Amino acid sequence: MSGYEKPSWGWGYCAPSPVLLLSLLTAAPLGLLGEETRQVSLKVISNWPDFSQNLLHIQAVGTNSTLHYVWSSLGPPAVLLVAANTPNSTLSVNWSLLLSSDPDGGLMVLPKESIQFSSALVFTRLFEFDSTNMSDAASRPPGKSYPPYSLANFSWNNITDSLDPATLSATFRGHPVHDPTGAFANGSLTFRVQAFSTSGRPAQPPRLLHSADTCQLEVALAGVSPRGNRSLFGLEVATLGPGPGCPSMQELHSIDDEYAPAVFQLDQLLWGSLPSGFMQWRPVAFSQKQGSRESAMPCQSSPLYPTLAYLLPQSPVVRAFFKTQNNFCAFNLTFGASTGPGYWDQHYLSWSMLLGVGTPPVDALSPLILGIMAVALGAPALMLLAGGLFLLLGHKRYSEYQSIN
Amino acid sequence: MEEEEEEARALLPRGSDEAGRDSRATPAASGALQALCDPSRLAHRLVVLLLMCFLGFGSYFCYDNPAALQIQVKRDMQVNTTRFMLLYAWYSWPNVVLCFFGGFLIDRVFGIRWGTIIFSCFVCIGQVVFALGGIFNAFWLMELGRFVFGIGGESLAVAQNTYAVSWFKGKELNLVFGLQLSMARIGSTVNMNLMGWLYSKVEASLGSAGHTTLGVTLMIGGITCILSLVCALALAYLDQRAERILHKEQGKTGEVIKLTDVKHFSLPLWLIFIICVCYYVAIFPFIGLGKVFFTEKFGFSSQAASAINSVVYVISAPMSPVFGLLVDKTGKNIIWVLCAVVTTLASHIMLAFTLWNPWIAMCLLGLSYSLLACALWPMVAFVVPEHQLGTAYGFMQSIQNLGLAVISIIAGMILDTRGYLFLEVFFIACVSSVFKTIYSIVFIAALFIIARAWKQLRYGNDNPICKTKRDTE
Repeated sequence: MSGYEKPSWGWGYCAPSPVLLLSLLTAAPLGLLGEETRQVSLKVISNWPDFSQNLLHIQAVGTNSTLHYVWSSLGPPAVLLVAANTPNSTLSVNWSLLLSSDPDGGLMVLPKESIQFSSALVFTRLFEFDSTNMSDAASRPPGKSYPPYSLANFSWNNITDSLDPATLSATFRGHPVHDPTGAFANGSLTFRVQAFSTSGRPAQPPRLLHSADTCQLEVALAGVSPRGNRSLFGLEVATLGPGPGCPSMQELHSIDDEYAPAVFQLDQLLWGSLPSGFMQWRPVAFSQKQGSRESAMPCQSSPLYPTLAYLLPQSPVVRAFFKTQNNFCAFNLTFGASTGPGYWDQHYLSWSMLLGVGTPPVDALSPLILGIMAVALGAPALMLLAGGLFLLLGHKRYSEYQSIN
Repeated sequence: MEEEEEEARALLPRGSDEAGRDSRATPAASGALQALCDPSRLAHRLVVLLLMCFLGFGSYFCYDNPAALQIQVKRDMQVNTTRFMLLYAWYSWPNVVLCFFGGFLIDRVFGIRWGTIIFSCFVCIGQVVFALGGIFNAFWLMELGRFVFGIGGESLAVAQNTYAVSWFKGKELNLVFGLQLSMARIGSTVNMNLMGWLYSKVEASLGSAGHTTLGVTLMIGGITCILSLVCALALAYLDQRAERILHKEQGKTGEVIKLTDVKHFSLPLWLIFIICVCYYVAIFPFIGLGKVFFTEKFGFSSQAASAINSVVYVISAPMSPVFGLLVDKTGKNIIWVLCAVVTTLASHIMLAFTLWNPWIAMCLLGLSYSLLACALWPMVAFVVPEHQLGTAYGFMQSIQNLGLAVISIIAGMILDTRGYLFLEVFFIACVSSVFKTIYSIVFIAALFIIARAWKQLRYGNDNPICKTKRDTE
């Protein structure tokens, strides 16, 4: 077992930033298809000595590829997703450029030629709708809209404290810088990021199947005072399109709701033809921390629409890596309906998604169900066969006996 | 009193010309009225038939109220699926015991007329308490209401059958039973399709959804139970009047229940019991939970999901008499039972593992449900001597209710933790255990035959025929 030590050196006169390094080594990868396991390391990259600005760099190294997830709370929360086809890829951060008015080049993944896929997600706005007197749950907008909270004007915690090496996770917690109404006095918006070194399925609903090529984001709103009695919240998510067009959004219907009772759908955002980046989530949000069926509320997503860069809060990390690219596409997620469980129950809301590169994980029937079906359908068939055979043989023997006599 | 004596004189058996002369003398309208009021005439018995059919309407209408309002109950009373299914379990619990005593209560304790009125009162009170539980936001009160409703519901069916036997004889009886069953199914269908719409109307007029809206909706639904009570009262009056006029006896169930007979039940009868339990637990709890399944998996609207949920009853109403005729003509009940079980299995597999239009699967389910009812229940009469028939039917209904009560709760728990696919697989396992039971019996029987043949083969020298032949040679 050896540790990886990858300090990120600044350019120019930027001092080397103190680095908090956590790594988890796994068993030697036996990957037959893709990468079954990866060595995952989480690093917090801060601009020393100013610890209020930090980036979370998750590096997942496989046998012949590396995935970089750079989560930033500079400006609106954003994630940079880069896939490189070499296990020796590194991230370089130039804080002086990053924090300047033209951050172009402040963030780079080297070597540049190894980059196979790169894109970004930015969470730009938090919406709030008043859903009283709205009987049509599927209407858009789902009610009168209050002024949205722009996530670029939020201040975030120092994620070094929230880093958990055991679960490979970190939590960004934020509240508006200016909060005249005091809505966020006792509450916050949290983004919990979790990386994975192998495939698996968490116990926490909605139990999304993850692989070594993905990481999970859980968005939670807790304790925030709503501005109405039946407030529905929404999130605006912006992405960089693969080309001039927008990524494609798909709804996958399945017969299997074992892992998320009564949810038969999986929503996916694909940046291009496979293998490329993807975003995956179940159209359900939960109004309680435990996340059971009683607290499940529907999550509606609007179609992707192309939008202009200046209409969205800008993330310096995205501008730093993607230079002047501005083919942004955005979509809105709305959590809850006017009736049923909602944020008003316990002032809590959580929604999870997966972000990754490659082939999106696909749910399969669990061995328990297959076993029960095999016994339920197979055993009677076998018994029928055996019984029929015995009867035939027995009858034959009996006839033989008769003829001898 | 005097006019009744006149009527009695008019109706006593006489020469038909005298009756004809009397009727010719009076105008046609009062002739029709006379026919309606004469208990021995068909017109009057049709009125009684109508009352008998509506007697059970309220009970069957209100039985499936929870299924029709599943989303509303779970949301307004803030309960999960396990507690929701308790509403069905509490209906079944009293009937585990009452099925044995229903006949006894009607024959010995209350008499048919008072028995029917009392059971109808239980049904009414049960539904009212159920609705009050909604108004006062007390789920335990709703459960109590369903318990009281259950006490009256099944016993009312026994009373309905007793009235039928008392008023109709011979070949008419099958038709009457069929009509009563159809009316019951119509009640269930109307409930499925009406209650959701009624709830939305009450919500619109009251201004908000909530437990009060739910309670008011259930109270309005309880009007059908008042209708049944009125029918019970009317039937009691007409029955008493007929007894006075025609000197016919009060109807009796004729059931003799002796619990000690249970140990004399033969193996085929136990097999029939197992089939009954395993089959019905895959039908009724599924219909109870079906509406949300169709909404979530297939994307149906609430109205369409209610309609599809009621298809089983809609099909069963006309097909029961048809299948009854078919089974009567061909015999071979066990083959029809197997057909019904296979069809139900196919239907559940379609619903679980495919995204095909569920109308197909539900129609198949309705057909197989009707077929099984027509083929299975008469089989009891073939394998049990007549003096044990009452006990056998009572026991069958009792364990059916026990199975329903237990499986309803289990189904709710499975749904909350594992989802609909697992629930469907559970139902498939239940239905296929019917096969396993049948095939086990066949397997054991085959082994028995083989063993006997083998024994004869081995000890063939002791065959008396051969011995005699050798001796004579």
